Amino acid sequence: MRPDEELLRTLMINGLEGDSPSYEALLRALAPVLRAYFGRRLASAAQDADDLVQESLLAIHTRRSTYDRERPFLPWVYAIARYKLVDYFRRRGAAAPAEALDERHAAAGFEEAVAARMDVARLLDSLPAKQRAAIEAMKLRGESVADATLSTGLSAAHVKVSVHRGLKSLAARFRKDG
Amino acid sequence: MDTDLLIRKLASDLKPVPRRSMAARLCIGAAAGASLALAGVALVLGLRPDLARAVFGFTFWMKLIYVASLGAGGLLASVHLARPEARPTSRFWLLVVPVFVLADIAAWQFYFTASSLWPKLILGDSARVCSTYIFLISIPVFAGLLVAFRRFAPTRLRAAGAAAGLAAGGIAASVYSLHCPEVGAAFVLIWYSLGILAAALAGAVLGPFVLRW
Repeated sequence: MRPDEELLRTLMINGLEGDSPSYEALLRALAPVLRAYFGRRLASAAQDADDLVQESLLAIHTRRSTYDRERPFLPWVYAIARYKLVDYFRRRGAAAPAEALDERHAAAGFEEAVAARMDVARLLDSLPAKQRAAIEAMKLRGESVADATLSTGLSAAHVKVSVHRGLKSLAARFRKDG
Repeated sequence: MDTDLLIRKLASDLKPVPRRSMAARLCIGAAAGASLALAGVALVLGLRPDLARAVFGFTFWMKLIYVASLGAGGLLASVHLARPEARPTSRFWLLVVPVFVLADIAAWQFYFTASSLWPKLILGDSARVCSTYIFLISIPVFAGLLVAFRRFAPTRLRAAGAAAGLAAGGIAASVYSLHCPEVGAAFVLIWYSLGILAAALAGAVLGPFVLRW
């Protein structure tokens, strides 16, 4: 499962404000994300992967002031994890295997994906609530009309009309901006 | 240690982080180093005796603004490169702006000065020691910045070291300008810049060793 950027970012910002429960929840959520990251790259050294998870959590904590609240959160986390991984290979005197570091590209792509998702969210926010809910249900989550009536609480005809009108006004806005 | 325990320990003693804490931390480190540098210059080299009069002159501010802007650029680059996900940006090229402005002033000074006096504008009386002094004065400033960096997360250590070295060099040159009575823009452009450049290069060489975490 993909880690949830929005949720983690909110927890991080609360943590920076000094909210201890949010912060603990954040670290708990990050531990499996980091374990997956290191586990995939150090399949043969499970104990080392666990050590790197702890080192990364510690680094995230002591260096948390370097997170900029205006920017995406997960690329920041992955940059720290990646640094720890490179450092691990360097300490062992081995050159980092290329496939272990491919994450650089993956992380960069991920950052763009997050930014794109944020753009979509911002666009949808400009629509009336009903149209936004209908588009989110049918176009983003890929639900059928029947499912969408359940999740939005609108009638089937209403859902279809809302999606249609919402997309039309978004298209009009693109034509104007473009 | 068990990861669960670690997480509870980290979360139990949580202090809030103010929004601008990174820049503040870097400035405190720089200010601490600069105070040490200033004390050293005042005690060992002495401030220029005509300082009270010089502050009303053009060349005093020309020197100070030139080197201070390089130092400020180094500090901004340091804040940028102290974040783990930072990539070099084209904004670093803004650092050439003060160099071009000073080169303009130097050309203008040459134009209005008899050519027999040009060596004085270029070499002054202290060309041989200026760069070396600036480099030496930058050492305590660099040390102050390193202390600040201990809570940062640079991942491009060479670039971050160069940025910190540039900041240290620019700040050191600002302090040195309180001692140095030279008036030639070309003098500053060459010898001050060389001292600052040496500090930045030393930072780039040391970065991968001293900024590791």
